[in-house]
Amino acid sequence: MKRLYDYIQRFAVISEAEFEQLAGLLELRHYDKKQILVNFGEIENFLFFVDQGLIRKYFMRDKEEINTQLAREGDIICSSVSFLSQAPSEYAVEALEPCRLFALSFENLQKVYSMGYNMDKLGRLIVLDWLLQKEIWEHNRIKNPPRERFVQFIRENSDLVQRVPQKYLASYLNMKPETFSRYKHLLK
Amino acid sequence: MVMASLHKNYFQEIFSYFRRFIDISQEEFDEIIPFFEIRDFPKKTKVVKIGEVDRYFNIIVKGLVRKYLLENKKEVTLQLSTEGHMIHAEISFNLQVPSDCTVETIEPSTFVSLSYSNLQLVYEKFPKMERLGRLIITDMFIKKDYRDLDQLKKTTRERFLDYMNNHPDMLQRVPQKYLASYLNIKAETFSRLKHLIRSRKTKEEN
Repeated sequence: MKRLYDYIQRFAVISEAEFEQLAGLLELRHYDKKQILVNFGEIENFLFFVDQGLIRKYFMRDKEEINTQLAREGDIICSSVSFLSQAPSEYAVEALEPCRLFALSFENLQKVYSMGYNMDKLGRLIVLDWLLQKEIWEHNRIKNPPRERFVQFIRENSDLVQRVPQKYLASYLNMKPETFSRYKHLLK
Repeated sequence: MVMASLHKNYFQEIFSYFRRFIDISQEEFDEIIPFFEIRDFPKKTKVVKIGEVDRYFNIIVKGLVRKYLLENKKEVTLQLSTEGHMIHAEISFNLQVPSDCTVETIEPSTFVSLSYSNLQLVYEKFPKMERLGRLIITDMFIKKDYRDLDQLKKTTRERFLDYMNNHPDMLQRVPQKYLASYLNIKAETFSRLKHLIRSRKTKEEN
């Protein structure tokens, strides 16, 4: 669980005792490649921490799949709005590789918060991170031309280029697969 | 405190807003009031400039404010907020880094503001505020997600009509080009859609 411990320390300092208690509320789950963790219309009951594997999150615009997150080892993923508000999910979450995940149920999350205000702080900072990631992504999409976004993405996520099907990367970067291919050739 | 008593109404509204999320008493809330500041700005004033660090989180008690980014030299309006809503450069404020966007008043405006350093003090001195902060940020996150998906899934016409139905006074208060930019609608299309509402209204009146 070292990855999870390191992830948490990025946001707030929690004691070993608090970590033990939190770890006790987690479930270990395995998913196969192409397995759906949560589907459209379902209520997301879990927050997932990726210990091993690769997962994508997407929504449908008409018949088009728009990828909004690609999570790998050390990332958290879930249909966040559905999880937080317990409303039907507008997103689907799918494993792209066999995965080993630590899952925290909505019910157990409330138990985590009842541990004390230090846990509220951790929760606040994680949700704030989600909010800021959204803002940053939105600002980049407006400020930076597609080619620049492509270059920046490749530079920061070179490992994903091998692991993720190109059409998903293109969708995530808000560009057509042909555009993505073209930029990829330009890099060589 | 003079400031607080002059603007007691502002704080009462904020108190009601907080009570939507947690059980906070008037006494507990009164302890936080001194950490806030009242700030006034004339119209067309840049509250946060590109490259500046946004030091404040603002709740608008009077006025109309816009947040925008530059796409090359073109202004893209990200947010249009009025009384009862919050506005700040989120990334800049929360990470305390230079802002990539501008926050500017459209009308003369009054804010109840909380500085970044005072916000951290509030969290430190009143641990219960960690829960309030978490719940408010969660609410903001959820609303933002719904808004984003909504914008992406709706047609131009639906976006326009939905917005006008939910914010009927904005058409009078906000310059057309800002509304068009915010709704991601071309200026010509916006004009055409505007006439759609006008002709509807005339039909209803007749």
